[in-house]
Amino acid sequence: MRRGLISWSREEVSEQQLDARVARLQARMRAEAMDAVLAYTAFDRPAAVSWLTHFVPYWNEALLAVFPSGAPVMLASFSKRMHPWIREVCRVGEILGAPGLGRTAAGMLEERVPGAARIGVINRDLLPWSVAEPIVGAVGSDALVDATGMFASIRQPSDAAEIRLAEHAARIAAHAFESIPRDAAKTSEVLATMERAARLDGAEEVLLRIAPDLARSAVLQRIEGDSALGTCYAVECSLAYKATWIRLTRSRGAAAPSWTPASQWLREAVATIDEAGVAAGPAHRTSAPGQVAAWAIEACVDSHPLSVISAGGTADAAKAAAAGGKLPAGSLATLSLRLELADGPWLASLPLLVGAAGNAAHPLNLTG
Amino acid sequence: MTQSSAVSGAIRNERQQRLAAAMQAEGIDVLVVAGNAWRSDYLRFAADITPIEGNALAFVERDGTARVLIDSAVEAARLAAEYPHLSVSASARLFDDAEALILRLGKRNAALAPNAAMPYRLALGPLGPTLNSGTALLDRVMLKKSPAEIDAVRRAAALADDGYAIFRAASRVGRREYELVADVEAYFRSRGCPENFQILGSGGVEVRGMHPPGERRLAQGDLVTTELTPCVEGYYAQICRTLVVGEPSERQRRAYAVFREALEAGVAAVRPGATAGDVARAENEVFRRHGLGDYVTSEYTRVRGHGVGLYVDGAHILEDVTLTLEPGMTLIVHPNTYHPDVGYIVLGDTVVVTDSGCDVLCRTSRELFHEPV
Repeated sequence: MRRGLISWSREEVSEQQLDARVARLQARMRAEAMDAVLAYTAFDRPAAVSWLTHFVPYWNEALLAVFPSGAPVMLASFSKRMHPWIREVCRVGEILGAPGLGRTAAGMLEERVPGAARIGVINRDLLPWSVAEPIVGAVGSDALVDATGMFASIRQPSDAAEIRLAEHAARIAAHAFESIPRDAAKTSEVLATMERAARLDGAEEVLLRIAPDLARSAVLQRIEGDSALGTCYAVECSLAYKATWIRLTRSRGAAAPSWTPASQWLREAVATIDEAGVAAGPAHRTSAPGQVAAWAIEACVDSHPLSVISAGGTADAAKAAAAGGKLPAGSLATLSLRLELADGPWLASLPLLVGAAGNAAHPLNLTG
Repeated sequence: MTQSSAVSGAIRNERQQRLAAAMQAEGIDVLVVAGNAWRSDYLRFAADITPIEGNALAFVERDGTARVLIDSAVEAARLAAEYPHLSVSASARLFDDAEALILRLGKRNAALAPNAAMPYRLALGPLGPTLNSGTALLDRVMLKKSPAEIDAVRRAAALADDGYAIFRAASRVGRREYELVADVEAYFRSRGCPENFQILGSGGVEVRGMHPPGERRLAQGDLVTTELTPCVEGYYAQICRTLVVGEPSERQRRAYAVFREALEAGVAAVRPGATAGDVARAENEVFRRHGLGDYVTSEYTRVRGHGVGLYVDGAHILEDVTLTLEPGMTLIVHPNTYHPDVGYIVLGDTVVVTDSGCDVLCRTSRELFHEPV
C-alpha cells in the first residue's frame, strides 16, 4: 500500500496542466466517437488516473469517468469522510461515493449516456471482474471497447510538469543510493537506509529489489528477512514522487575493473534512444564492454506506472517480454540493462527523454 | 533469518492441505488464481507469491502442483529464483497463454478466483462459460488461520508494537507527517519487513480521520493518530494508537477514556459463537452510554474493526454483520472515530479468536501516550 507523502502542489502541476491532459483525451474521444472512457485505479495501476487528475489511491480502488466534455467524475470506494482529502490532492469534478464500484458505475452510465454504443476502458482486459460484471450487465460487453491503445496514443510525450516531477523523483532516488553506507554488509542496511532517505525526501512510494551478491546471481529479489551482501550487489529503486514514477538501478560494492567502461557505454547507449530506435533498443550493442544479456525500455503509457515498450537481449526473460513498441520524441522512459562483463554481471538503468529522430536522447539530470 | 521471500514449510503445507481438501469437496480440479501488487492475498494463500508489479495467474491443481504465469519478465525471473518449487513463466500474452494452459491441463472442472482481481478478459474469454467461480471456496478456507499462520500474525503484531515505539520517538514538534512514516518504514526494513500499511492524522478537533502522510508539521498539543500494519511471512497485524505532543489536556484524557473502555468491551465480546455484529455493538454501546452514539455511525467512522491476515482489511466489524466468529480467526478490534471535544482518536489491537475467547496479540500499553515537547 502507498504510505509516503501524497499531496498536490499547484506550483508543481497546475490545474490548467491537468485540464489540458483531460482535453487531450477528450479530443481523441470525440474523434473516435466514444461516449465515455473509464479508468480504473488501485495501488498497482494508478497511472492513468493520476496523470489525468493527480489522484493516487493510497489503498482501495476508484474509477474515473471521462465524458467527451466537462470535468471527469470520480467514483470512489473510499468512505465519504475521505472525499475532502480527495479534493485536496487532486482535480476532479463530481465525486460519487461508490462502495460497490461496478454497480455505481453501471447506474451512472445508464443515467448519463443512455444507450451508449462505445464506452472505452483503459486496460479493459485487466479490469477486475468485481467491477466489470455490473457494468457488462448494464451496457453489454459489446459496448465496452478497449481504450488502452487510444490512451497510449495521447499519453506521451510528457509535458513540462511531468518532466520536472520525474527529474525530482530521479534526484530522490540518486540521493537514496548516495546514502548507502560504504561498509554495509547486509541487505537490511542498504534497504533501510534507502527507504528512509527517499521517504524523508518526499517520495510517495519506494519499491526496492536487490541482487545481494552478483557473483552468485543477478536476479533482483524482494527481500523478506535479511541476506549477506556479496562483494558486488545491485539495487533497483522504483520510486514515485507526486504520482510520477522513475526507475534507477545501480551496481554497487567493490567496483570491478570493467564497471567504468560499462557506465560510459550506458550513457552512450542512452543517447542513442531516439523515436525511430525505441523498438530496436540501444544501438552499438556490439561495442558494449560485454554481452548485453537483457535490455528493456519502459515508459508510462497506460494505467501501470511503467510498461515494457521494447525489450531484448540474450536472456530468456528478456526475450519473453519483447514488445517492439514505439514512443514519440519527448517521452519519459527508462533504459534498463544487464551486461555480462568479464568480471561478472552488471545491472543499471537510467531514466531519459526520448530524442527526436536522429537526435540524442537526454538522460534525466540526477544531481540538480 | 537469511532468505529472500520467507514462507515457511509449515505454512505452505497447512495451506496446501486445506486448499486440496476444499477443492476435493467441491470437485474442482484446477484453481486459477489472479493477483497483482494490490490484491496478492489470494495468490499468497494458493501459491505463496507476492507480485511487486505486473499481473499474475497461478494454476493450482488438487495435488498442490502450481504453475505461475506473469506478464512481467523481471518478476518472472524473481519469482522463479525465490520459489524454486513453482513453475514460473513470463508471458507477453497472458490471457492467450492462460487459456492454452487450462486446455492443456485437460481438467474437467476449473474455477477462477477471486472476483476482486479476476481480469475481465479471462472471465469473458472463450473459456469463461466453462469456468466456475472459486472465490467463495478461497474466502472460506482463508478465514480461519492454522497454527503456523497464527504464529506469523503474532510475529507481525510484535513487530507492530516495536514499530509504534519508533513512531512515538519520531513524533516531535516541527516534524512533518511524512517524516514520521520515513522513520517507521526504515525501521521495518531494518527488521527485514518489506511491507506495511500505515495511515495517520495529526492536529486537533478539526481532524476527522486518518489519511496518507501529508506535509503538515506536528505542533504542541496535537493528537497524533496512526495505524501500523506490518506484514510478516505474508500475514499482516495491525495496531492503532493515539499520542499527544506535549502534556494531554484534561479534555483529551476524558475523551480518550471512552475509547479505552470501548476497546476493552469489544475485545471482551470476541469469543467463538459471537458475531462480528456483537463485537461492534459492545464497542458502540460504550459510546452510546457516554452520549456519543452519533459518532459510531458511517458519518464519522468506517468500521469498528476488521479481519486481518493475508490482507489488511478482511471481514468488517459492524453491527449488521452476521459472520460468526470461530477459533483461529484473526481480527483487529478498533473503536476509532471522531470525538466532538478533541478530534479523531484511534485505539485498536489485533486479536486471535481462541476456544474460550481471544488472545490479544498487541502488547503496547493502551494508555494515551504523550511525548515531551
